[in-house]
Formats: sequence, C-alpha cells, structure tokens
Amino acid sequence: MNGMMLGRYLPMDSFIHRLDPRLKIGSLLLLLISVFFDAGFIGYGILGIFVIVLVILSKMKLSQVVKSIKPMIFMMIFLMFFNLLFIQKGTLLLSLGFLKIYDQALIQTAYIFIRLILIIIMTTILTATTKPLDLTLGIEHLLSPFKKIGFPTHEVAMMISIALRFIPTLLEETQRIMKAQASRGVEFSEGSLKEKIMSIVSLIIPLFISAFQRAEDLANAMESRNYNPEAKRTRYKQLIWKVSDTISFVCVCAVCAGIVTLSIVL
Amino acid sequence: MSITFKKVEHVYSENTPFSYHALKGVDLNIKTGSMTALIGHTGSGKSTLIQHINALLLPTSGEIQIEDVMITATNKPESLKPLRKKAGLVFQFPEYQLFEETILKDIIFGPKNFGIEESEAEIIAKKVLKLVGLDESYLEKSPFDLSGGQKRRVAIAGILAMDPDILILDEPTAGLDPQGAKEMLNLFKKINRSGKTIIIVSHDMNQVLEYCDDVIVMSNGKVERHESVDEIFKETEYLSSLSIDLPTITSFILQLNKHGFKIDSSIKDVDQLVKEIGGQL
Ligand SMILES: Nc1ncnc2c1ncn2[C@@H]1O[C@H](COP(=O)(O)OP(=O)(O)O)[C@@H](O)[C@H]1O
Ligand SMILES: [Mg+2]
Repeated sequence: MNGMMLGRYLPMDSFIHRLDPRLKIGSLLLLLISVFFDAGFIGYGILGIFVIVLVILSKMKLSQVVKSIKPMIFMMIFLMFFNLLFIQKGTLLLSLGFLKIYDQALIQTAYIFIRLILIIIMTTILTATTKPLDLTLGIEHLLSPFKKIGFPTHEVAMMISIALRFIPTLLEETQRIMKAQASRGVEFSEGSLKEKIMSIVSLIIPLFISAFQRAEDLANAMESRNYNPEAKRTRYKQLIWKVSDTISFVCVCAVCAGIVTLSIVL
Repeated sequence: MSITFKKVEHVYSENTPFSYHALKGVDLNIKTGSMTALIGHTGSGKSTLIQHINALLLPTSGEIQIEDVMITATNKPESLKPLRKKAGLVFQFPEYQLFEETILKDIIFGPKNFGIEESEAEIIAKKVLKLVGLDESYLEKSPFDLSGGQKRRVAIAGILAMDPDILILDEPTAGLDPQGAKEMLNLFKKINRSGKTIIIVSHDMNQVLEYCDDVIVMSNGKVERHESVDEIFKETEYLSSLSIDLPTITSFILQLNKHGFKIDSSIKDVDQLVKEIGGQL
C-alpha cells in the first residue's frame, strides 16, 4: 500500500476536486466509451491531450500518474505480447522461425497500449479527486431513476461505499500479514513454484479469515444500531450542480462527440 | 555484541502526500541478554522501531547493527533473511498469522522456511508447545478451533520454534485475561534467563516493573529515555508529562512517603514493602 496510487483519494484542492461527483462519474463513462471508438491516432492524440489537461487541472504530480500505471504494467505487457504474435494481418515485417510480426499487429498493439493507459489515467483522475463518500453519493444519484423499476439504489450505493471503505483496511491488513509471515522466513518475491504457492497460501488464508471477521463485526454493529436499508433517509451532504459543472460537461461532450465524428468520417 | 541504532530515521511513503516521519534520529544500544521494555503512546513509533531489528523495515537513513549484521537503507533483501531467524518478531495479535490445518504444521512452518528438516522441526514443535503451556494433544488440532488466548500461544510457539537469539514482542498481552498475561510474561522471563535478549512493547507499567531490566521511552518518533527500571520510575514528573502511570506499588510508596514514611521507592515486591512499613511504624 505504500506506493499504491490506484483508487486512492488525494486530499487536495483543485478545479477537478471541486466538480460535482455526478459530473465526474458521467464524464468518465462518456470518455471511456469514446476511448473504444477507432478514431485513429488523431483521435487518440485529442483524447491524450484532453487527459493531460485534466491531470494538470487536478494538480496531480507526474510521479503519481506513473505510479497509478505501474501495477498494471505486467498485465499490459502480457496483453501486448499476445496481440503482437497472434494478429496476422497486413504485411509481414519480421519473421523469426515461428514468430511472425505483421504491421497490422503492431498498429493494433499500439492502440491497445494507448487505450489501457488512457483508461487507467482517466479512472485514477476520478478516484484521486473524489472522496469515496462523494463517489457513492454520486452513484446513488445517478442510479436513482432506476428506483422506479425496483432497483435497490440505496443498497447498491451502500455496498459500494462499504467496499471502497475497506480497500485501504484490507491493503493494510495484507501488509501486516505479509510482514508477520516474513518474520517466519517467508520470501514473497523468491523461491520455487512450490514455495511461492505456500507463501501465497500463508497470506490468503489469514486475510480471508480476518475479512470475514470484519464483515461479521460490521454487520453486527449496523444491526445493533437498527440499520434498515429500506428506511427513508435524509442527507447531511447535498450535491449542488454549479455553472462550472455545466461548462465542464459541455467540454467533455464536445470532445466525445469529436471522437465519434472522427471515427465515422475515417 | 548487541543491538545498536545509529541516527536511524524512518519515513513512511516518502515523497508522497502520505509521507510520515515515524522515527527521528534514534540512537540506541540494547545489551545482549537484557529484558527491555519499550513504552510510549500509541503512534510514538514503537512498532516501527522494532520492525527495524529484523529488517522488515529498512531505515530511510542511519544504520542498525545486530551483532555482526549491518542494516542500512541500501541493504539487499536477500542478505537479510538470516536476520529474520536471529531476531524473532511476534506482532501484535499474532493469532492472525495462523493458517495451517494443524497446529503442528503451523509451528514447523517457520523452522522449515529456515531450512530445518521436518523431523527435527517436529521435535522442536513439541518442545515449544509445552513451553507455551499447551500439551501434545493439541499438535493435530486445527489452530482455528482454539480460543483467542490459545491461538496466541500457538503463534508465539511458531516464533520460538525458530530459536531466535533476540525475541521481540509487540504488546503480547493485549486482550489477554490477567492470569493469561501473567503466564505469558513468566514464559518470556524464563526465555530471557536462558540467555536470550527480549524486547517487549508494553502499556502496563506493573508488568514493566516486575519483569524488565531496562526501559526505553518513545515519544513522537524519538527515543527520549533509555534507563534501568529503577531509574525511570524515579522520574515521576517526566512520566506524568507523558501521562504514563507509575506502577501501583511505586505510586503507593510515594503516597506513603508524603505522609512521613521513608521507604525506598525502588521496592518491587509487596512482601518486602510490608516488612519495610512494619519496621517504620
Ligand atoms: N505503513 C505505514 N504508512 C504510513 N504511516 C504509518 C505506517 N505505519 C505506521 N505509520 C504511522 O507511523 C506512526 C508510528 O506508528 P507505530 O510505529 O505503529 O506506533 P506505535 O507502535 O508506537 O503505536 C503512526 O503515526 C502511524 O500512523
Ligand atoms: Mg504499535
């Protein structure tokens, strides 16, 4: 958890921090969808510049952005490697025995790389600039139209907020157990396959036990305070839609519309 | 041969908005064979300090010498594994580290990680289980069927089985009943008498007075005092400035002395105190 950036709120004050969580969640959805429109490198260039502007507006440091990507690097390399080898379209660029690399494979892999990076950074901007509680409040508001058809919006929002609340706790717990097992001679980064499996087991089992224990404690604590998910409740914190939110929303829509148009024209 | 800290600093999550300066210029020298208490408020850096002794945490700067091993910020993790055996660290609530199907398997987990043969480890396991006050019938039971206090004994046995020269315990009696706590401390004292160095984080000054030789006081990431038990409890004003209570017997003697008695405040034993009072009446 020391270097962990993914999903973490950064307590600062910036233009993006002050925006309405509903706007931020909605914009993220629109932007995520537009990432998957194939608008060529021009389209990704526009999205890239937009994301850079957002990072600057949110006052995140470059090192924090890099850190948010780091945990995903392994998965990205894995994905890219297979793409590079299995797409067999276009002209052959390189052939080493059974390894054949085509130019289309190269382009597709570059697309995937750019898409993943954009997705991670966009999501990080949302979580870094929005308090977990505001995030759930925003989700609950956005889901509220579905209440009419019997969708349990409050329960879902409560579940999400509990899950978010426990991410840092579980990360801390993981670190604590890793340290306790390291004190018993476990090396999490080294050893044969058998030793690696053993070290993971020595982490996972205590982690599950304590997670279930916590879940039970929390459930008991909520019940003993008479928590009723169906009760009507008022809120201390109200979401207020500001002019800056409207302007931001127009900007996001413009960018997304631009990407979609570009992908149709191309 | 001892544990030496020189100008040790530790900063958690350095260069992030969450960075926290947890140890500030710690200088220490803990003698081999002593039983030392580490006291101070929650958040004063006690747990951070002890995790440096078996190199779970590396100092941000400064150096630590454990017998012939030197730990600095640039150590490679592989070079530190022998230290994990030399200095056995029992975390707070160690019962959460149990994971094996049987108690026997859980206890031999540590020794096996340090390359001890299974058959030999099993002999050790039987020995340490007895030491922590559980009989052999427990060996084949699941650790998850035990009570909280028994689980903790098993977890401690798992560290003792590694036969460390230095035993470090982070609040080992938190949440135990008084009788269980007493048995636990008697066990540590026994281990100490067999020649091992013991460092114990504690909030109970009666325990500190009764069982320990030296006391380290931490406040705000700094080591403020490192003295013998007799010396530290003479500093009543300093301790009350940190809102650390005196041991019951010591504060009783101080009260008596306010009312005209002249009793040596380093008396630890009730019988001796009764004799002393009787003599002065
Ligand atoms: N992994 C960590 N990351 C950031 N800060 C930490 C971490 N662990 C402990 N701290 C902080 O360091 C300080 C000292 O903690 P600790 O050594 O656990 O104190 P103690 O054991 O004396 O209660 C506390 O303020 C705590 O919040
Ligand atoms: Mg602690």
